[in-house]
Amino acid sequence: MARGFGSNYRIVLLVATILAAFGGIGARLVHLHVIDRERLVTFVDKVRRQIVVEPARRGDILDGRGKFLATSRSLITLGVDPQMLRPEDEPKWPELARLIGLPLRELETIFRTKTRPVTPAAASKAGELVIDLDGEGTSGATPAERKIQWAKLSDAVDESVYEQIVRLDIKGVYAPPRVYTRAYPNNELAAHVVGYVNKEGMAVQGVERWADFYLRGQDGWRESEKDGKRQELAQFRAREVAPSRGYDVMLSIDSVIQHRVEAELSRIMTTFSPTKATIIVSDARTGFILGLANSPTFNLNAYGSVSGEDMNRMRNVAVADVLEPGSTFKIVAASGALQEGLVQPGDTFDCTLERIEYKGRSRDLPREDHHFHHPLTVTEIISRSSNKGAAQLGMLLQEKRLYEYAKAFGFGEYTGFSSLYPESPGIFAHYSKWSGSDITRIPMGHTVAATPLQIHFAMGVIASGGELLRPQIVKEIRNEQGEALYRFGKMVRRRVISQATAKTVAGMLSRVTIAGEGTAAEAAIPGYEIAAKTGTSQKIVDGKYSSQHHIASFVGFFPASRPEVVISVIVDDGRSPAGGTGYGGVVAAPGFKRIAEHLIQYLDIKPTGPVPGRPLFALERIRP
Amino acid sequence: MNTSDNHAFVNQLLVYTLVMICLSGSIGLGTVWMRHQISVTANSTRQMESRISQAERSLAETTIQVAAEESLEVLTRRNSEWKLGLLPPVESQVGRLAGSPERRLAALRNREAFTDRSGAETAPVVFASGSRVRR
Repeated sequence: MARGFGSNYRIVLLVATILAAFGGIGARLVHLHVIDRERLVTFVDKVRRQIVVEPARRGDILDGRGKFLATSRSLITLGVDPQMLRPEDEPKWPELARLIGLPLRELETIFRTKTRPVTPAAASKAGELVIDLDGEGTSGATPAERKIQWAKLSDAVDESVYEQIVRLDIKGVYAPPRVYTRAYPNNELAAHVVGYVNKEGMAVQGVERWADFYLRGQDGWRESEKDGKRQELAQFRAREVAPSRGYDVMLSIDSVIQHRVEAELSRIMTTFSPTKATIIVSDARTGFILGLANSPTFNLNAYGSVSGEDMNRMRNVAVADVLEPGSTFKIVAASGALQEGLVQPGDTFDCTLERIEYKGRSRDLPREDHHFHHPLTVTEIISRSSNKGAAQLGMLLQEKRLYEYAKAFGFGEYTGFSSLYPESPGIFAHYSKWSGSDITRIPMGHTVAATPLQIHFAMGVIASGGELLRPQIVKEIRNEQGEALYRFGKMVRRRVISQATAKTVAGMLSRVTIAGEGTAAEAAIPGYEIAAKTGTSQKIVDGKYSSQHHIASFVGFFPASRPEVVISVIVDDGRSPAGGTGYGGVVAAPGFKRIAEHLIQYLDIKPTGPVPGRPLFALERIRP
Repeated sequence: MNTSDNHAFVNQLLVYTLVMICLSGSIGLGTVWMRHQISVTANSTRQMESRISQAERSLAETTIQVAAEESLEVLTRRNSEWKLGLLPPVESQVGRLAGSPERRLAALRNREAFTDRSGAETAPVVFASGSRVRR
């Protein structure tokens, strides 16, 4: 063993070679890791590092019973790399065309087009994204053919269809990462309330917009590296932030009530052919909206198909449009006069006068739609809707108090209902700017403009016992597990009149639906006291009040003695099928009645009096 | 082994070098194996995440389909298509009970339990068809 494995010379040479090799490797490593480090790291970062954004799932919008009004789904944009297609997959093309709903000829054209001119205009005209991976760029003036490596086949493939496409196993057909898009399972239902999110992911209107902060969630991201095939190298994930899903928003809207409301609107549109109509249903005790719909409306899943000139159908007329409230405004003058102790329900007024002296000047009283042969009590002024009577109540109050009461009822100011953007405050001038005739016209609802929602909640003041409630539509904010994070409750904006006055006015309003006493016997429901007010205001056409065009309304609540729901039906320019004027009692009251009858059963509202007719069934041993 | 001998020293150096190379190689191979395992595990985790996402997406898709089928528009259409003739009740069809229905039913049941008479006392139902009366 003394000589070891070989001669000195050979051993030294071997050791020297090994050391030299190690030295060379070491030198190269030093060069790569120290000297040339910056350049190489920049190159690697550029080629391999990637930050992948993981979009957060937007929260759902639910109705008051937890049914989906808006939710999120992932839609897949399907594409093809024509360079990767295999001839043996060609028999599968017809099945693929069928699955994505594309004509086979069109699909074949896309598949067989392997190159296209470089000009960007051509690419954009075809609506296709072209990615040049080869770097055979567009540089140079000479037109060139470029390989197509991604051509879009469909941008709305759902998951179940995509699974079938994957099973076809056509090489070259693939989908980039999915994105969440919004889906509205009920299509048109509560379209103006729910609103929508556009293709850019921006919440445009309705609750989608108002509650965007809660709904949108927070996108996640991760920093990692990708290989030459652009596949993520999961082992090199450096930092990762998981996306956090948006919160769910539960509305007070009830799908069943909303559906009924929309069905009634559809019936009104068919029967009376108005330009537009609105129905609002709310809880009398809390101010929560149970149903709110406008017609015309639109399909939330096809908002993009609404043409430019038809954009008005996307307006939430209930909060964005203003109209003269007409006789429904008479509750303001009557409530004010009663609250101030200026009149009692039985006090009478001569409603045949043409003129009346007020503050030393003779004023014209407005015309009546009906002629009254005897003086009317305050109750009759309301139930028979006397314009002259309302004017006299207004004059008793005088400008300042009438103005203050109208403001207290919510006219001329935002309702605070920011949930449904955009809202109009209405038009109601300060009393210092009123003309001489305004004191006789404003009490009957002329020269005032209000949104349907303002009119609805003004009536709500009587229903709630004298308080002006804030309209509310969002009931709860929930997390993914369905736990309530925040609950919205009843919000009282102010007390307008005393409970006793509200009760007195409710009693007056309940005469409106009594045959022979009021203007809307059509809305009476046996066994139930309906407190309501008709309204028929002339529309202003070419700067003048038109006798042909009217806005008919019927606003009320029931049961009058213990109000549970407030309903407003407002019809713009409806035509009576019989050819007469589209009065509120004719056009709007029947709709009110049908909705009320439905709500009686659905919400189990007990009658306040005997219901004529016997039940059509019998229970064993239970005799009425 | 004589350590003072040059050859012996060289031999020893060679042995140590070989041991070092083997050790380094083993460490290198171990590292490569470990990295491979990390890669395999990471990819498996990624695939699992992908499957979970896929399941969540399918669930969302199914939820939407169910919600769409449960929409009142569809239910109303089905009622018509399948000729079910379902209608909401009207007030005249409703018999309203004063007080708690549970107590009322309990009282009815107890009365039956403690009574001597057998059989239910029911009012005969009369069907009228034209002029004939059947009992």
